[in-house]
Amino acid sequence: MATVELDKINKLYDNGFHAVHDLSINVDDGEFLVLVGPSGCGKSTALRMVAGLEDISTGELRIGGKRVNDVDPQGRDIAMVFQSYALYPHMSVADNMAYGLKLRHMPKDKINERVTKAADMLELTALLDRKPAQLSGGQRQRVAMGRSIVREPQVFLMDEPLSNLDAKLRVQMRAEISAVVRSLNTTTLYVTHDQTEAMTMGDRMAVLKAGILQQLGSPGECYDTPNNIFVAQFVGSPPMNLVTAKINQAGEGLELEFGGSKLAIPASVLADRPALKSYAGRTVALGVRSEDMEDASLRRNETGSTIKGTVNLTEALGSEIIVHFTFPGQAVVTADTKLVAEDAGGEELHVGVDKGVRWVASFAPRSRVRMGDDIEILVDVERVHYFDAETSEAIRG
Amino acid sequence: MTVTTEAAPPRHSADEKLKAERMPFGRWMRLVGWRHVVAVIMVAWALFPALYIISLSLSGGNTLTSACPPDRSGLAALSCLVPNKIDFSNYSTLLSSDQYPFVTWMKNSLILATGSATGALLMGAAAAYAFSRMRFTGRRMGMLSLMLVQMFPAVLAITAVYLLLTRILDVFPAFGLGHIWGTLLIYLGTALGVNTFLMKGYFDTIPVDLDESARIDGAGHARIFFDLIMRLALPILVVVFFVSFQSTFNELPIASVTLSDSQNTTTAVGLASLVSNPLIQEWGLMAAGGVMMAVPLFTLFLFTQKSLVTGLTAGAVKG
Ligand SMILES: Nc1ncnc2c1ncn2[C@@H]1O[C@H](COP(=O)(O)OP(=O)(O)O)[C@@H](O)[C@H]1O
Ligand SMILES: [Mg+2]
Repeated sequence: MATVELDKINKLYDNGFHAVHDLSINVDDGEFLVLVGPSGCGKSTALRMVAGLEDISTGELRIGGKRVNDVDPQGRDIAMVFQSYALYPHMSVADNMAYGLKLRHMPKDKINERVTKAADMLELTALLDRKPAQLSGGQRQRVAMGRSIVREPQVFLMDEPLSNLDAKLRVQMRAEISAVVRSLNTTTLYVTHDQTEAMTMGDRMAVLKAGILQQLGSPGECYDTPNNIFVAQFVGSPPMNLVTAKINQAGEGLELEFGGSKLAIPASVLADRPALKSYAGRTVALGVRSEDMEDASLRRNETGSTIKGTVNLTEALGSEIIVHFTFPGQAVVTADTKLVAEDAGGEELHVGVDKGVRWVASFAPRSRVRMGDDIEILVDVERVHYFDAETSEAIRG
Repeated sequence: MTVTTEAAPPRHSADEKLKAERMPFGRWMRLVGWRHVVAVIMVAWALFPALYIISLSLSGGNTLTSACPPDRSGLAALSCLVPNKIDFSNYSTLLSSDQYPFVTWMKNSLILATGSATGALLMGAAAAYAFSRMRFTGRRMGMLSLMLVQMFPAVLAITAVYLLLTRILDVFPAFGLGHIWGTLLIYLGTALGVNTFLMKGYFDTIPVDLDESARIDGAGHARIFFDLIMRLALPILVVVFFVSFQSTFNELPIASVTLSDSQNTTTAVGLASLVSNPLIQEWGLMAAGGVMMAVPLFTLFLFTQKSLVTGLTAGAVKG
């Protein structure tokens, strides 16, 4: 077990492409850290530099406090699970797991002991004599895990290990990998483009965009206090709702104006974020999580700020109702929002300006809203997020 | 051609087969039957010389026509393809003769063919591994020049080879003119080109993830090469081995210059010498030698034919 420290690491490919910029991450001993970001953002590159499969252009990599920039992969005492699993096709499951130990000249009985233990843990005992071609996707995945586990390395590296599985198996394996890794308490760097995996599996997550670290923190931190619009939209499902809003002076305080609605900014928020005062008279990007909204008709007695909208679609999930609604306003369209929309598979998140802004709210199941209804939505103004319209950075402090 | 006829039937499902049986003959002929006709003609074409040589070698005679008594002519002459006598005298003469040391020839041929096939395999695979897996300056140039060089037949270099081997004879006799080790070196020199390309094409289809996984498991280049690549590329290795083996085994022009002494030469050169003198032409011995020469190749083919088919097609598609 060991810490992994990435210190201002850069990767410049031979063709001049700058894939990773000044990446600094300290992974604690025994921590499960998830590197997450849309595809092509340099996650694999970063992981492969830690593995030693890719040269580090500049910066320093330390494992267990020791500089390993120039150490080859076998000397770093790491194990890696590949997206393709990379099982040796001509070797049985047992041999696949034992190969790394044999190369390290471990005595036979010790190898057997470790393989048996890992097979037991991963329910592979019955499959030890099979060849990879005779296994299902989930079983191959487990063998790949087993191959890493038997090595008992300082660090596990995993590059999208679940992306070749179908959705149901993925959820199951997600839990299994988490459980196995936690029981071993080995430092783990896990790469994924799926924010759900990052949220559910990681102690901390590092959100990457175009080779640049956007935020490093616990899933809760990244979700509740995103550093910028990209993180706000990338982390969480559905993505954070955004609208362009104007901040106006209203007496002593400030109020938000967008789409014909006006919301007063509570004094507590202003006390928390004095910087907001300098935005008076300017526009900002306003963000609201779907669970911070509620059907106003359910909360008659609460005096809160509401906005008006028209329901496009409702999805009753039992524990909640997901309500898609539109209201007149100006959508926030930046390179980041487009990137996230693209990464989510071209899902239309924002309709044209004339049709207004489309938001997604999650209401209590008691709500009776129907498609086509004009409704009032209560917004929890304490929990609204503010972003600078130009820089996309969160407005804090 | 036999491959065609064998491969055709599985393409039709059972239903189609039934239909085919009910088909009118003309239609069946047009769709399926002509392939059989072509195949039969091709097989006959290919078998004719082989059968005639076998028949001649067993006739006990020593002229080109001894397998066929002059009274058979016209279509009746075709029956000469079946040995009308079983007489092994040609074989025993050849195997015991001092003038024609067939056993030595065969030994030389086998050493040369095995040596150059093994060498071609190892050198070619090592070069192909480097070209497929490593990025180095001169990689492109190296591949291009390999390609260019192999376009010239090795025989073109024959004068140079002759001079080279004569010089070597002075300093290092075992590798000089007239000794098989010198000839082996020449064969190895010509072996790299095509084989390297064929193998590189195949190696490229083996995912690099496997190499990387092995590197993390603690394997160096040698381990990756022998434990992974050589195992996974077995079909193409078999192809390369077989093709090199048989081309060396049958090679005549170079060996006839470098191993010109009929007491210590290869089977191909030795057998050619049996009939090249216009005054003494030993056709019967030559036929018996030809049949015996076919045995090692034939055996090798039987053992490797499965890999040969997969290896050749894989190389063809992916290479
Ligand atoms: N060998 C390479 N040479 C040049 N560019 C590369 C190379 N490998 C990857 N890239 C580029 O680097 C970027 C990051 O790649 P990668 O780390 O694989 O992304 P991902 O986050 O999807 O794992 C991509 O834009 C990719 O095109
Ligand atoms: Mg990747």
